[in-house]
Amino acid sequence: MAQDVLNALTLGSLYLLFALGMSLAWGTIGILNFAHGSIFMFAAFTAHLLVQEVALPMVALIAVGVAAGALLSVLVQLLVFEPIQRRAKDKHKAELQILIGGIGVAIVPLAIAQYLTRSVPFGYSAGRFQVNSYDLGFVRVSNVQVITLAAAFGLAALIGWWLKAARPGLALRGIGVDAEVASMMGVDRRRLALLTMAVAGALAGLAGVLLTYYLGSIAPETGDAFLLKAFAAIILGGVGSIAGVTIGALFLAGVETLVLVTTSGAWAPAIAFGVLFLMLLVRPNGLLGRQEVRRT
Amino acid sequence: MSQWFVSHLILIQGTFISLLLALSIQVPLRAGVFSFAGIGSYALGAYTAAILTIRLQVAPVIAIGAGVLLAAVVGYLLALLVARLSGLYLGMATIAFALFLGVAATNGGELTGGPTGLFGAISTLTTAHVIAVTLVVVLLLAAGERGAYGRRVDAVREDPQLAVTLGIDVNRVRRRVFVVSGALGATAGGMYTLLRTTVSPETIGFHLVVTALTMIIVGGSLSWAGAAIGALIFTWLPTVLQFVGEWQLLVYGLLVTAAAVYVPGGILGLLQSGWRRYQRSRRPAVRPGAAAAAAGEHEAPLATLGTPGEVRS
Repeated sequence: MAQDVLNALTLGSLYLLFALGMSLAWGTIGILNFAHGSIFMFAAFTAHLLVQEVALPMVALIAVGVAAGALLSVLVQLLVFEPIQRRAKDKHKAELQILIGGIGVAIVPLAIAQYLTRSVPFGYSAGRFQVNSYDLGFVRVSNVQVITLAAAFGLAALIGWWLKAARPGLALRGIGVDAEVASMMGVDRRRLALLTMAVAGALAGLAGVLLTYYLGSIAPETGDAFLLKAFAAIILGGVGSIAGVTIGALFLAGVETLVLVTTSGAWAPAIAFGVLFLMLLVRPNGLLGRQEVRRT
Repeated sequence: MSQWFVSHLILIQGTFISLLLALSIQVPLRAGVFSFAGIGSYALGAYTAAILTIRLQVAPVIAIGAGVLLAAVVGYLLALLVARLSGLYLGMATIAFALFLGVAATNGGELTGGPTGLFGAISTLTTAHVIAVTLVVVLLLAAGERGAYGRRVDAVREDPQLAVTLGIDVNRVRRRVFVVSGALGATAGGMYTLLRTTVSPETIGFHLVVTALTMIIVGGSLSWAGAAIGALIFTWLPTVLQFVGEWQLLVYGLLVTAAAVYVPGGILGLLQSGWRRYQRSRRPAVRPGAAAAAAGEHEAPLATLGTPGEVRS
């Protein structure tokens, strides 16, 4: 039982790391990045390519994954989302074009990774880091789990505090409420958008590397599954709310673990879709979402 | 000709089925409804046709027709359920609906054959039937894009508030596109299943959403013709560009991204604007004068509401 709770918490932490950046970008600069799953996968894949050449420690691989994720995310913003926002006639059209552009650009890293790996799962077995488990009597904890939990909750708290207390965080929230007025108040929207996307990508990269360590290996297609689960977590908690996405990620992981433990687990993939659909019907703003979220 | 027809049969069938699937997303999109429910209807149609054919050995008309009817009813109920949602939220809810059906098919036990799916749905459906059905559908949709009804749908897409003030029942138009989208998706799914005689849960996934969207975005989302261009391109491109081979997926990704950023109207949009420019260059220069300027001004707001296929003279 305690073991299941710990596993659910770890899974929830990985969902949280993944969904945090997406929720941040969606709730503030209005970009729903469908390429987030691809960025997440490709950052982990970059670290895999590197570790095949040099046996690196975990810290180095995490740094590589974070850097690759941030870089890819910024590139997508510069090459796809910014031109769309510049050219689109109105916000609604831009939203849909960003979604489609994201789906399109997401195929590119996926195709490259599938080509290079022949769709075989990849991992970090060539690295120097060893996954160790510690028996605490009632539960077994691995060092990867400890790092994942600490990273997820630490970073969620840090970003939540930064958004609430720091001046750039205030500016970013201002963009989320009204981009035009924020611009008039002297907020540099372009710079903050790039920063947000870089942070989102870095978080995705971190999640990717940690997931690969946790599971041993991941397939190039893992990104798609995570993307849809992250949607469910974000919608459940409320777009843009850091506390909300934390609750959403943990709830989703908890229910999934419960279903996996108590049944054959064949229905587990449907939970995210069910949660997403029901939540959109009952309360599209999410548990902790702002009322201003457009829904008409 | 008949030699060519036989040797390319799979691709010809694929073109028409893809066109129907693409239309099931394009029809809502034309009315400004961002719904992927057509993908879920594809699953409904595919499984209904397979189950009825295998268990009851009914004629393909009945097997596919039952799926179409079911999907249309489900589409209507779904439209009532998601009436509050729009834009991205609607897109996500309908993606969730479609992918949920995929998981349900895996868990359907004996009825759906579980993860392996159903085999041996042998029927008398031929390629000629598929082509005939598709042509009828396209004719109906093309008729619906013209005239007063076509302009009404344009108004609902471009400005729902304006449409309401003009006396258009926006919600009814939206419900109707859900029903049509469901019927189209189920037709595609049912016919594909009976042609291939099998269906499995793997056929229904996120990749199907991406495929259908790819065709519409590259072809052009505002008319059936755009979906047709997209279906043609993405069914035949692999045979034409054989050197692309392993990088096919990469080329698709780049095409969709480029279309989303630079040509939101798709290839159809490019062709239309090119055609208009050509027409304008042939026309004698407009006489300078207040009357012409006033007429031009008057035309501008109407043009945005017009059917994309029509060229005003």
